[in-house]
Amino acid sequence: MGWAEVRAAAIIVRREYQLACRAPAFWAVAALGALVAVWRASTGGTTAALGAYQAWQMVTYGVGALAILLAGAAAARDRQRGATELVLAKSGGSSGGLVAARFVGTWLSMLSIAAIVFAASSLGQAVLGGTPWRLGPYAAGLVRTAAPIALATALGFSLASLLTTPLAAGVAAIYWIVVPLGRSYLPTALDLTLTQHWREAALLAAGLVALAACLHARAIRGERERRAIGGWLSVLLLAGAGLSVLRTVHRGEDGLVNADPVLWAMASQTAIDGRQAPGFWLRDGEGRLVDLDQHRGRPVVLAFWGPASRGSVRALSVLGELAREHGEEGPACIAVCLDRDAGAMEGFAREAGPEVTVAWDRGRHFGVGMEWADSPVAVSYDVPAVPTVFFLDGERRLVERWRGEERLDGVAWRVARLLEGR
Amino acid sequence: MEIEIRGLRKVYPGGVVALEGLDLTIPPGVFALLGPNGSGKTTLMRILATLLEPTAGEAYVAGHDVRREKGAIREMLGYMPQEFGFYPSLTAYETLDYFGLLCRMNDPKERRSRIEQSLANVNLGEYAGRKVSTFSGGMKQRLGIAQALLNDPRVLIVDEPTSGLDPEERIRLRNLLVELAGGRVVILSTHIVSDVAVTSEGMAILHQGRLRFSGKPAELLGRLEGRTWIIDIEEEELSRVREELFVTGVFRSATGMQVRVIEDEMSHPGGYQTAPTLDDAYVAAMNQEVGSVGMG
Repeated sequence: MGWAEVRAAAIIVRREYQLACRAPAFWAVAALGALVAVWRASTGGTTAALGAYQAWQMVTYGVGALAILLAGAAAARDRQRGATELVLAKSGGSSGGLVAARFVGTWLSMLSIAAIVFAASSLGQAVLGGTPWRLGPYAAGLVRTAAPIALATALGFSLASLLTTPLAAGVAAIYWIVVPLGRSYLPTALDLTLTQHWREAALLAAGLVALAACLHARAIRGERERRAIGGWLSVLLLAGAGLSVLRTVHRGEDGLVNADPVLWAMASQTAIDGRQAPGFWLRDGEGRLVDLDQHRGRPVVLAFWGPASRGSVRALSVLGELAREHGEEGPACIAVCLDRDAGAMEGFAREAGPEVTVAWDRGRHFGVGMEWADSPVAVSYDVPAVPTVFFLDGERRLVERWRGEERLDGVAWRVARLLEGR
Repeated sequence: MEIEIRGLRKVYPGGVVALEGLDLTIPPGVFALLGPNGSGKTTLMRILATLLEPTAGEAYVAGHDVRREKGAIREMLGYMPQEFGFYPSLTAYETLDYFGLLCRMNDPKERRSRIEQSLANVNLGEYAGRKVSTFSGGMKQRLGIAQALLNDPRVLIVDEPTSGLDPEERIRLRNLLVELAGGRVVILSTHIVSDVAVTSEGMAILHQGRLRFSGKPAELLGRLEGRTWIIDIEEEELSRVREELFVTGVFRSATGMQVRVIEDEMSHPGGYQTAPTLDDAYVAAMNQEVGSVGMG
């Protein structure tokens, strides 16, 4: 592929982007998303960074699939009416490259919807005194996940659009079946592939099958051999996506916690006294979701601890006593364990008693140089050492933070004041 | 500047031979490619437009090889395919702006000037701001010509531009092609013989991928000079006449029927000589292999 083709592809991507943004449906989806984001922010349901993550989810899981279908339908339509001839006569290149460029343009327009929703969410947070967010970690996380997803999707899309060659069918099948299986043995090399995001993979596979059906019906109708290849490819795509899903479920991984964007979203928040505390979605020892928003309306005592620090483990018993003393009328007690090994957490959690929610803040492949490199929530709360205890009021505003084991004895006193509204 | 084609052959996957050993020289001016559907006209044009690789043989556009110098050819070439589509939600101006960018017209002022000129050339200047979806078939064809003219091409290739147009639009488009021909090579493919008669200085007739004739329309007509006849017949005589003579046309007259035939000598009573038309010549050329008339 020469420079001229690259340049032409960029022009085509830009034009497709403009065309997609011009469609009334684009603005309808963006407006709806923005309204929902502002509403979520106004009700304190999320913080800006997690709102961004939700927008990202919306794009990748929902709108992204829609983009695939839209671009596929457009490509099939263009092929049918010969629109590609005019472009190729000027730009050179291949019809497959043209289709891929069209897809990327549509995809970018969908990302714009996410950006609009994110902006609305951020605006809502800013106006309502929510948690500020740092762009750096979040942007790095998005780029880290968005680029491979977009590239892999574009690749799959263009292959599906070129089902007229057995070679393309073979390559697509290899990608969707061998890569998910091979990832067990090549985790580092393939970590940037789409397959770590199984929901996208499943959706994309379905989209590709739909595309294939569309192309068969319209563009290569009557060519039995090619239809058969496309049919088998569709089966292989679905099987690949199914295997990917089954494998993830079998391994007990949870997409919400393990997916990279949510870690980066949690880490990109900043805890500031008097403002809304960073939100998080963690898991307890039994895999249940621990969401800070679940405790809205109650004060919260949030303690960070680690099994390796004997002093910090005492935070668990302090929280247990507090919870038993005040019951439902008292604060919600959450103890966040900072450790790579969840197994170490469970024994201590049993000693704390069922009244204390013990969550595990374990990240993965997180930023180098951060103090709690595996713990994005600890990063967002700027936890310098364990134990550190945070006091949150019923509106989830950060009232105060205490660091060090020696201050654990005063927690009960501080909670009493917190319950008095001070 | 001219186009040289030597021994050009194109075989599609599946073994369909679209072009077989084609030798042709196309001089400046309007040059018509005439032939029925499937004769290889579109294949030849797509090869010259660098959209298709030939299987064998050579083709040079102004000295540039269609295999190895695609970029150089595209810069001097304007192409309007037989079937094409535009983005319906774009205006005519936006459509040309898009194609202008693809043509490497990076300077916005120059691009604007070229777009306005191209639209004016095809009489679409006043419709620049209208969406393509509102255009008639003829207007879309003219917009197709406008996009082909954007880069002021030295070679303009238009594939079946007049098919599907109403008579007025057809004449307008024909005239436009003649106007555009000055200094350019304009290759026009068609299966409408009257288009050739009016527009073209040179022509080639293709049949099943092979060249049947190339030269000036007058040369083709000259080969039938003194061999074209009109015969007045009764209606019931028609089938017999068809069997005995090479008939190029049948018409109704006030007294019965008239048939146009091509024969070296007329044995049928009541036949009289007439001037050959391109329709006669085309039919004769197409039937070369079935034997009644040899075109040489």
